Amino acid sequence: MTVAIVTYNLTKTYGANRGIRNINLSIQQGEIFGFLGPNGAGKSTTLRTLIGLMKPTSGRAEILGLDPHTQTTEVLARIGNLPTEFALDDRMTGRRMLSLFGRLRGLTELAYADELAERLDADLDRPMRRLSRGNKQKIGIIQALYHKPEVVILDEPTGGLDPLVQESFLSLLVEAKGRGQTIFFSSHVLSDIERVADRVGIIRHGQMVAVEDPHELTGRAHRQVRVEFATPMTDDMCQRLAGIPGVENVAFESTIARFTVSENIDAVIKLLGEHQVRTLDVERPSLEEIFMTFYGPEENGDAA
Amino acid sequence: MSARPSSLAIYTQHLTGRFRRTGIFWAIGLGVYIALLILSYPSFRESGLLALENYPKTIIEAFGIEDLTTIGPFLDVRVYSSLPLVISFFPVMTFAGALAGAEERGSLDILLGNPIPRRHVVLANWLALALVLLAVLLVVAIVSWGCGRLINVGLDAADALRASLNLFPITMAFGTLALALSAWLRSRGAVIGISFAVMFLMYLLETIGRISPTWAGLRWVSAFRLYGSAITDGIDWGNAALLLGASVVLLVLAIGLFDRRDIYT
Repeated sequence: MTVAIVTYNLTKTYGANRGIRNINLSIQQGEIFGFLGPNGAGKSTTLRTLIGLMKPTSGRAEILGLDPHTQTTEVLARIGNLPTEFALDDRMTGRRMLSLFGRLRGLTELAYADELAERLDADLDRPMRRLSRGNKQKIGIIQALYHKPEVVILDEPTGGLDPLVQESFLSLLVEAKGRGQTIFFSSHVLSDIERVADRVGIIRHGQMVAVEDPHELTGRAHRQVRVEFATPMTDDMCQRLAGIPGVENVAFESTIARFTVSENIDAVIKLLGEHQVRTLDVERPSLEEIFMTFYGPEENGDAA
Repeated sequence: MSARPSSLAIYTQHLTGRFRRTGIFWAIGLGVYIALLILSYPSFRESGLLALENYPKTIIEAFGIEDLTTIGPFLDVRVYSSLPLVISFFPVMTFAGALAGAEERGSLDILLGNPIPRRHVVLANWLALALVLLAVLLVVAIVSWGCGRLINVGLDAADALRASLNLFPITMAFGTLALALSAWLRSRGAVIGISFAVMFLMYLLETIGRISPTWAGLRWVSAFRLYGSAITDGIDWGNAALLLGASVVLLVLAIGLFDRRDIYT
């Protein structure tokens, strides 16, 4: 398989504790690669350094075999990009922007942009100043995808989108992957990445912590469980539940039990099934909880 | 089959359309201002206010006034001497918004995500503004000439055109200073502040230098020394070339600075 994006010890620092350090990535052609990290972890710095908006302090990157810092226009001609805060001049409409950008790319045909606008329910003819954040973001997504680039780099693309549009957007990414396009997108929302990404890179304090299968990542993490029984729990039942390996942080209160479970979910369900359950809530872990579970507690430190 | 236009041509054309809107307002504003001044000239002359004995000696020396009772010196002194300060607002504000302002608004990185070299972005801004500014100055010339004809004061078309064209090198020099600052700094406010500070300081140095022999030596640092009185003395092509040369140097500097720097949101 061909490598679409690769970085070698990519480093960009500005200030003592800010920036990214020694980022090593290898993303295959046709892959959807999620880039996950809390706000300020260095996701945007990595993406901006990759597309030539920032010069690396050290290390280097290649996109489609080209160096984005010495062959910038050649690289930009083959990629689509959405920066973290998409903005245009107030009077500009999406259509005028696409017409200009299309001409810069040598395109005369913008039919796919109209198709994207329809699927994302975006208004291409309204000036930017009259669009909400979510509607602006739709225009940003369209301009990253309308020319069907070989590589798409998106920084927090789902920010401001309502759930239905998010759904359409994620299916657009899957279709793009089907055409052989490579997608590299960042998010601080795990569910976005889990649903479409083939692999997820985790960044924290400017350093890559892990590259994982997103389903494995969430599968290994604990779930928060809250069960309400029809009758008060017996001591025996409480002890049996607390004794199941993987069940932790158990708290009982009359008919309600709260606990976390990271393995042996089958044993837990069978035990609960011996009694009449009135309600059952299972919460997925937040990104912060996953970080706590796998990579230790947060420390001070920041990146752009 | 026709060749595909370059990103420079495409972006220059786009910006020319954008700047044209602002240029129309400038042309209307300047046209009205100049028309009012020229049309009021006969009243000034008849009132005797333009007689040299009404002006302090220092003012006469500072502005090199010889005779205000003819239209040429009147326009040079009362209209065109201060116009570089006024018209420079147009390129300074435009260029401050073009790079530093666009970065502040977050619209610069979306443009630079396209296959357009950064030097083309800088150059297209300069070329588009120069074209629109020339059009605005042409309107100023036509209004001056038209109003001169209306009151029949002997202002011919060549005089009006010379006076207007003479504004181009100095206003572009101040504008290109703002462009270089905009390529370097990340604050639109700082670009505007520094550009105007430099411009007013130079105007002050030129004015004081003309009056006071103590300050006369500092006139050489002022771009206004190279501006002159185009209707009375004609365009000094050497000085105009120096000002245009300064613009080119600043433009090259702007390209170099913009090409090397990081773009933030």
